[in-house]
Amino acid sequence: MNLEYSGREQIPAALDAVWAFISDPANIAACMPDVIDTTIVDARTFDVVVQIAVGPVRGKFKFHVVLDPQPGGARMNMKISGGGFGSVVDLDAGADIARDGDGTVLDWKGRATMRGPVATVGGRVIDAQAKRVISTTFANVKARLTPATVAETK
Amino acid sequence: MSTSIHNESEKHAMGVAMKRKEDPRFIRGKGNYVDDITLPGMLFLSLVHSPYPHARIKKIDKTAAQASPGVIAVLTGEDLAAHNLAWIPTFHGYDKQMVLAVGKVLFQYQEVAGVIATSREAAQDGAELVEVDYEPLDPVVDPYEAAKDETILRDDRENKTNHIYHWEVGKRAETDAALAASEVHVKERVFFQRCHPAPLETCGIIADMSPATGRLTLYLTSQAPHAHRTVVSLVTGIPEDKIHVISPDIGGGFGNKVPVYPGYVVAAAASVVLGVPVKWVETRTENLTTTGFARDYHMDVEIGASKDGKVTALKVATVADHGAFDAAADPTKYPAGMFGICTGSYDFPVAFTELDAYFTNKAPGGIAYRCSFRVTEASYAIERGMDILGRKLGLDSAELRLKNFIKKEQFPYPSPLGFVYDSGDYALTLNKALDTIGYKALREEQKEKRARGELMGIGISTFTEVVGAGPSKHFDIMGIKMFDSAEIRVHPTGSAILRAGTKSQGQGHETTWAQIAAEELGLDPQNIMVEEGDTDTAPYGLGTYASRSTPVAGAAIAMASRKIRDKAKKIAAHLLEAAEDDVEWVDYKFRVKGIPDNTITMQQVAFAAYTNPAPNSEPGLEATYYYDPPNLTFPYGAYIAVVDVDKETGFVKVRRFLAIDDCGTVINPMVVEGQIHGGLTEGFAIAFMQEISYDASGNNLNTNFTEYLVPTSLETPHWETSNTVTPSPHHPIGAKGVGESPNVGSPAAFVNAVMDALAPLGVVHIDMPLTREKVWRAIRSAEAQAPA
Repeated sequence: MNLEYSGREQIPAALDAVWAFISDPANIAACMPDVIDTTIVDARTFDVVVQIAVGPVRGKFKFHVVLDPQPGGARMNMKISGGGFGSVVDLDAGADIARDGDGTVLDWKGRATMRGPVATVGGRVIDAQAKRVISTTFANVKARLTPATVAETK
Repeated sequence: MSTSIHNESEKHAMGVAMKRKEDPRFIRGKGNYVDDITLPGMLFLSLVHSPYPHARIKKIDKTAAQASPGVIAVLTGEDLAAHNLAWIPTFHGYDKQMVLAVGKVLFQYQEVAGVIATSREAAQDGAELVEVDYEPLDPVVDPYEAAKDETILRDDRENKTNHIYHWEVGKRAETDAALAASEVHVKERVFFQRCHPAPLETCGIIADMSPATGRLTLYLTSQAPHAHRTVVSLVTGIPEDKIHVISPDIGGGFGNKVPVYPGYVVAAAASVVLGVPVKWVETRTENLTTTGFARDYHMDVEIGASKDGKVTALKVATVADHGAFDAAADPTKYPAGMFGICTGSYDFPVAFTELDAYFTNKAPGGIAYRCSFRVTEASYAIERGMDILGRKLGLDSAELRLKNFIKKEQFPYPSPLGFVYDSGDYALTLNKALDTIGYKALREEQKEKRARGELMGIGISTFTEVVGAGPSKHFDIMGIKMFDSAEIRVHPTGSAILRAGTKSQGQGHETTWAQIAAEELGLDPQNIMVEEGDTDTAPYGLGTYASRSTPVAGAAIAMASRKIRDKAKKIAAHLLEAAEDDVEWVDYKFRVKGIPDNTITMQQVAFAAYTNPAPNSEPGLEATYYYDPPNLTFPYGAYIAVVDVDKETGFVKVRRFLAIDDCGTVINPMVVEGQIHGGLTEGFAIAFMQEISYDASGNNLNTNFTEYLVPTSLETPHWETSNTVTPSPHHPIGAKGVGESPNVGSPAAFVNAVMDALAPLGVVHIDMPLTREKVWRAIRSAEAQAPA
């Protein structure tokens, strides 16, 4: 089963701050929902264990995530592969990053391939879950990058 | 059909609606299934399945699984290869299939590793921890794509092609010429979708290798225990006397429990190595995704006819999707089973059918799901074809059928595709159906509804089956001839034990087998114990599937009984102090001819057989008979469905369904009616709900009962049943078999009814299952194309 998602997110933070934030595996892992465990492999790679509940498919899924920042600081690609309970999920995603006034805008697109029990759950159920994961992740990114949060981090 | 229930003991056992003897234990929850059995020290097997439909296996890491609590062993295909068990032969022996994947996986959910642990939960936890590194490959899920050979799926085979075999029967040139010369010609591709028997009890095994005795006992969900014992011996080299197969109560089979599955082999191998019992009971998802599916035939049906509706020729060309291995369950010489029955109940002067089978990245199978080896596919093809022809001719579908039926005086009827039909009176059966349902009135009602723009349909299916494999000159499985057997021992007090080579999975053999013997011997069927499924005690037989039990084992029971009666006659003569030739069997008793009051019962004979045997005769009263049928049997029926289709939602309401069956002599009308109700419900599910479908990526989309629907009492229509009786002339009691008729005959009746309802819109055909969405889309599409 192949599913495609795309969207546009505005983040109230400067492009450099956003770029630095999303280039750090620890930050991305921290923004993903339902993460049980994170292992930072290197500066561009991390492994996460995520609690999944999609219809009858429930359990821990392991994902290997590779960040691939493109030269020029205007595009970030990301590859996620893994699965659990006999299911396999592969996700190729990319975001074009540009200034938007004082903030930053991300035009992103992702294509997921699902195999095994998770592929049988049905598009609408997976859609709802995928949208929840995406919106939660971006909400967390925004929250972490708001000026107050950035100041606290500093 | 009469279903008056007799509870008391019956002398006249044949044709009596006796309550099923097995039911008291089932309705009390006292059945004994494989998963009810627990042996001391028993371990549990859980299998690891591939999420990919097509991938190379780069590495299997057992480390984490082996360290998991309770895990005793983790087996892979490489481990089995060391014992020459990585591959096993498929059903008919023309192909082999992997037990646990070696090198690459060929379908999603293929078995990749087995984890043996001290509990079921520990085995499942361990299976989750087996790390398999796959290199995904592009899957091929369409048999027409597979036919192009752009990707060769089975690189283990000598022939580098996805084409498995070509099969044909009939006269190609003459058929083509007749079609070309026909005044009217129709051609339609009809697809009988991949579906699954989905028995409520899934497949399972306990393998128990005893180091003390050197015997391997297999408690197995087996429809064919003896055949499985022989296959295990041939594959493993274990002498057959060291293998004991016990098939306890079975919760439905429908063909699904005929093949040998990887879980069986892994459990047996683990038990042999570990010396302790190992249980494997598959999950619902494993059952639906890995064990034998049915159908998956794409059939191009062509019929030629004269303008007045007399058929002149039939041609059916089929593309069969066999999945990853050629594991179709068909007799050795019949790779497409009995598909040659596709001429159905009609007198075609000439016919030809051919079939090409292909590998795809789907689960292997092609089992005879409640049908005698592809008879359902064949019946669906001809019954849809006849309706499409009727539409083109503008002829009523009943009239077209009556015009083309094989006439009763033509029996025994040699069909153009090689069968010799035993008996039938098709017009009688259809006319009974038309009268019973009030066909003329229904057509009038339909006319009125159509005038109001409402969609009402009437669908007819007048199918003929071919069952009872079979005559040993034609039918075998891996060389074993398809006879069957019965052994009857009459005890001194006149009760008896009857053992047969068949195995009931719900058919009611404990009742009907007793009725046959009781009728032949004048004994009380309540006092005849029937035992099946234990290879140490039952005579050798090929098992229960393809409606073969009554035509073959039922005949063996009658013949064994007659052997006993022959011996009993000698004893009776001794007791009556008469010459044997002067003794006759009348009204379930022996008597001296001309002296009707001086009688001896079989009970008296039985007692004498052990206490006062005839001089120079062997004591005891028992017989064994191996029956090799001279021909197949040909049950048939006339089914009529009446439906209303909601134009706005696509919902199909099956308002009435009438099944008139002719299965020859009826042993127990209540059991027959039960079989018909069950089979019609399955046929209804196939017509409207069920399909094992795959997406373009090779994902199986119907892996559990939320995606593969089983009708409940809420969806199931009310069934009306009745029968005609045309005995088989070559069967000892005239019986033909009935278990599969409703599944064979009903799908076409349902689809014909819906297509009849949609006829005013110009819709000719929709492939099953006729879901609301499909019907709704067909209506919307037809309306969009209609002239303004």
